[in-house]
This record gives sequence, C-alpha cells and structure tokens, in this order.
Amino acid sequence: MIRVAAVGDVHLGVDTRGTLRPAYENIAEQADLLLLAGDLTRLGTVAEGEVVADEFAGLDVPVVAVLGNHDHQSDAEEKIAALLVDRGITVLEGSGTVVRINDVRVGIAGAKGFGGGFAGKCGHAFGEREMKAFIHHSEDIAEQLRTALLGLTADVRIALTHYSPSADTLRGEPPEIFPFLGSYLLAEAIDDSATDLAVHGHAHYGSEAGTTAGGVRVRNVAQPVIQAAYRVYTLEPSAAVPE
Amino acid sequence: MNVPQYDVAALRRALAEDPRTAELGVHVRIRGDQLFLSGDVACEQRRAAVAEVAAEHADGLVLHNEVHIVGAQPPTEQEDLR
Repeated sequence: MIRVAAVGDVHLGVDTRGTLRPAYENIAEQADLLLLAGDLTRLGTVAEGEVVADEFAGLDVPVVAVLGNHDHQSDAEEKIAALLVDRGITVLEGSGTVVRINDVRVGIAGAKGFGGGFAGKCGHAFGEREMKAFIHHSEDIAEQLRTALLGLTADVRIALTHYSPSADTLRGEPPEIFPFLGSYLLAEAIDDSATDLAVHGHAHYGSEAGTTAGGVRVRNVAQPVIQAAYRVYTLEPSAAVPE
Repeated sequence: MNVPQYDVAALRRALAEDPRTAELGVHVRIRGDQLFLSGDVACEQRRAAVAEVAAEHADGLVLHNEVHIVGAQPPTEQEDLR
C-alpha cells in the first residue's frame, strides 16, 4: 500500500513564514510522499519561493511539486523551481519522476496545466492570435503531460497538475469560469496512460472528489477545499500498463 | 450610474490584481447597502488586507468581512483508493 499526501494552493508568503512547517514535521507517520499541486506562493516572487523551500525542504518523505498560476505572477517561475530543486524538492513541468517506496515504483508525471474548458464547452484555437495562443498553451501542456505519463516505468502512476482535468471537482465554482479552471485535454492525456490517480488544485470553491471521463479518480486538494495541511490517499500497484 | 454588479466586478478585480491581496478566491456580494466578503485566506494579515482593499471600494456600504483563515492542521484520516 502506498500513502500519497497531497495539498495545493498553500499560497505561502513572507507573512506566513514558518506557519505550515509544524503540520508537516511528522508526515512520515501518515504518508510515504507529499505532492504539492501548485500555487505554492502568492505573488510568485523569489522571496516567497524561499519560504516555500523552507517550509517543505528536508521533510522525511520525498516532495514532488508543480507550479501554479500564482507562481508565474512575477515571471520568476524558473528561479522558484531552481531553488526548490536545490533544496531537494522535485519540480515537474511536463516531466516525470519515479519514487521507490517499499519496492513499489511510484511514477508521478506533472505539469501546471492550463484552462480552455471541458469537452463540448471549451475554447478553440481559432480567430485572434491571443485566443489561439491561449488554447495552444493548454494543448502543449496536455501533450507534455501525456508524454511524461507514458514515459513512466512504474507500478503506480499519478498525474499531478495545478489546473483541473475534470469538471467534477469544480462543483461549487460558477460554471461560467470553468474554462479558466481547467481543461479536458489534461484528462484525455490521463485517460490514455493507465493513470491511477490525478491530483490538482486551483479551484478553491470546488469539490474534492471526481473522475475523468475515462474513470480515473481525480482529487482537488486545494487547501480551501480540503481545509487541512494535506490529504492522504492510499493506492495499491495496479497491473495496468499504457496501451 | 451606480450599478452594484459593476461595483462587485471592480472589487473582485482589485482583490485579484492588487499586490496587497492577490486573492482570486474571495467572493463579493452587495445586498442593499451591505457589502459581504467571503472565502478563505492563509492568515490574519491577509484577511485584514482584503478588508483594506475592499474598504476603498465600499463608499456608502457597510462592510462585513466574513473571510476565514484556511484550515491547515494534519489530517486525522485517509481515503482508501485501492
């Protein structure tokens, strides 16, 4: 059994330095790894990134993260990712990693994701260049996620994003803003790659539990949704392999 | 013309775009002459910052800050997805 802890949207800043750490000090008693589903900062500054590193570095479980839209606000996302990596946190952006836990290979593919909307109610790459750029950004990230998931040699596969792959976990959000909260293109990538669990954040007013159209479990771990330091999900290695 | 819907939209944009707040998850409602803020933020300072920005858009309105501090304690249970 693998115990996966996950949280998103912790929105750390210099004003919250040191406030989260106590809740994670003994995380190994509850979980085997910790996933961070983006929006780790508030304004996306390097100073805030250093707070994130101080809060999550050196825990007694592996920590794997993606960045979110807030982490891009100051155009310092690459610096934030680099400093987290320097402190031992794995940061995924269209890439994957495999963590070995009790001889089980846990593969995590991660990407920020983006908006665009959900099947039949989504934007299209048509018209103004700004609209095409919006949709192409979402398409590109989903394709990177697909490639990363399919590239995992693992017994358990987890997709980690900031934006949502499913409208299920947006229940509670106004439907009018769904296209800014996620994209079904992420779910298509997840459904094509024998994924066991998809974890995301971003939707503060959404719901925790849902599925993709293909039946993969989706969990929204945005902290305002889970109202806790993290959630823990238990998984068992599956025999499924990508087709 | 004073249109409450536009006032709500302007305040929500301010709460998202003002670096004092950068909060995209705070709901704003105007009912009569009452302005209600709700949602979750990370700490007491941010709750106060939300009220500070809102007060600049609350001319003639009674401000009710119903924003909560998000829960951040370790969980006491796990969900079995096996």
